[in-house]
Amino acid sequence: MADRAVVRVHGDNSVSAPLIETQNLVKTYGRGSSVIRALDDITLTIDRGEFVAVIGASGSGKSTLMNMLGGLDKPDGGDIAIAGQSLGRMSKRGLAYFRNETIGFVFQQFQLLPKKSALTNVRLPMQYRRPRLDEEHERARNSLERVGLGDRVHHKPTQLSGGQQQRVAIARALVGEPELLLADEPTGALDSKTSTSVMELLVELNRQGITIILITHDKEVADYANRVITMRDGKIVEDVRQGVLA
Amino acid sequence: MRIPGLTTLTLASGSLLERPFRTVLTMLGIVIGVAAVFAMLSIGEGSRQKILENIDSVEARTISIFPNWNNGRASARRAWRPFTEQDVLDIQAIPGVEAATGDLSQEYSIVSETSDWRANVIGADPQYLAANDLQMQRGRPITQTEIERRETVAVIGTSVVRSLFRGQDPMGERIKIQNIPFEIIGIVDETEGTNWRGQDQNNFVLVPRPTGRARLFGDDRLVRNQVRSIRIVGTTQEDLARIEREIDFIMRRSRGLTADEAPDFRIFNFSANRQAVAETQRTLSLLLATMGAVSLIVGGVGVMNIMLVSVTERTREIGLRMAIGARGSDILSQFLTEALLLSVISGLLGLGLGYAVSQVSLGTDEIEMVFSPNIAILSFGSALLVGVVFGFLPAQRASRLNPIEALRHE
Repeated sequence: MADRAVVRVHGDNSVSAPLIETQNLVKTYGRGSSVIRALDDITLTIDRGEFVAVIGASGSGKSTLMNMLGGLDKPDGGDIAIAGQSLGRMSKRGLAYFRNETIGFVFQQFQLLPKKSALTNVRLPMQYRRPRLDEEHERARNSLERVGLGDRVHHKPTQLSGGQQQRVAIARALVGEPELLLADEPTGALDSKTSTSVMELLVELNRQGITIILITHDKEVADYANRVITMRDGKIVEDVRQGVLA
Repeated sequence: MRIPGLTTLTLASGSLLERPFRTVLTMLGIVIGVAAVFAMLSIGEGSRQKILENIDSVEARTISIFPNWNNGRASARRAWRPFTEQDVLDIQAIPGVEAATGDLSQEYSIVSETSDWRANVIGADPQYLAANDLQMQRGRPITQTEIERRETVAVIGTSVVRSLFRGQDPMGERIKIQNIPFEIIGIVDETEGTNWRGQDQNNFVLVPRPTGRARLFGDDRLVRNQVRSIRIVGTTQEDLARIEREIDFIMRRSRGLTADEAPDFRIFNFSANRQAVAETQRTLSLLLATMGAVSLIVGGVGVMNIMLVSVTERTREIGLRMAIGARGSDILSQFLTEALLLSVISGLLGLGLGYAVSQVSLGTDEIEMVFSPNIAILSFGSALLVGVVFGFLPAQRASRLNPIEALRHE
């Protein structure tokens, strides 16, 4: 505990400090008698290098939690600190920058620009980086090679299979070298064979050092992670570390 | 090397090119609006300069007076009364009058040794040439002495030279009018074009007015001292209004009219007339420019409409861009740039169209167009303004989207 206190004071990003800390996180929707507590007093710590699956039925609050962690939404109560930065106190502009620099998003529906090439899609996040990175083209190409699509850089999403499209999306998430990859049902739109290969890619990326948080309702998908958090009605009901995958 | 704003521009042009047909349709309203504003302002400028450039010409300094016929009460009392030689002399004496001449003329057959030709025979006085802005080409004008002695001399126009003499030298030759021989003493320099009645302005024979009155026009009702109309040229245009008032005073006195009686003569001020015409033209072009502006606004609403559709269509894209780090201002500038690019291209096309249309319609003489950079900038600027004003609302709407909801948009 003493270590953590020191970390907060200095805003230290050393490996020993946890990447994510949430304190009594609360998020409510609606008004009056129909208030829904989407997040109900969530306190959670995630270390660097972890591969966490958040599992739960729809409406359990897992998506809300992901939006919170990704800086897309603000809590009504409590606070989140990611890589030493307190999201609750950040301006909209600050949050946009935080998302660009620290987070890589992977969505169920890929969210690629349909008329742009894989390379252009992957380059997209760098467009909003301040200051701009050098060698954007090479970075995008390397990122595509990292997900095994080095030979598909000029293909448009419509010319790619679902699995390949999701790999482009993962390459896009990786291109800005984020600390945290947030994947929301990344295999939800894929068949089981393709799902396996996408999950294996995520495991490989985690092995290379990137922290991954995966939102899913699928137990099998969650089994790829080394920590599974189960949510129900906005609360964490189970938090299990399972067999460390080397 | 990275050029600031280039990414935004590439982005905007890319998204416009993705939907070429829609882009063209959207631009149409602004193109037409700019073309209309540009053409109409150019016409307005043209008529303004027309007034300015004629301000010192003889025509712009000319006043004509005619007896009034058909003027109800006045004509009931007496038939139209011509002016007298004394009126001409009195008007010549007004300070600021450069020249004044009476008009007494009739068409006759002119006969030379070899052929004949119909021309307007004009009874001239010494100020005739000056009052009509004419110069001598050869020979000399009719002198005061020749006028007083009623000599049979003639100064002829170039059309008469061409028609009667065909290459021969007319100087010193004799022509017959009503069987009376006249000696040619001079030729008047050619004037361009036709007069307001469309007649050839060079087809005339000048003779001393008393000679004409006594020997040619004698059978006319215009006897002795009378002339049909008087033409006056002022020294400067600023003086014309005062000269006009003095003429009115002199003519009333001469014709026994009080100041409140309706005059039995009319005073025409060419330049005032012309200014009135130009004024009408300017008002008209202003009206049309207003219509152009309305067309611009309609075009702007079209832009807004299309941009709103575009924002709705691209809601997910906007959500994604926000999720990966686009700030509200990034989205705002992306859509605003798109609207601006649309209006810049439309503005340029509009200028081109306005110019092309004006080149086609310039066949008509009455409409004069003057193109100036200021007018082009003004028309083009109005297109930009429309782009910013009508592009802002959709762009702002896009920039305020909630990324979570935008990503879920179907």
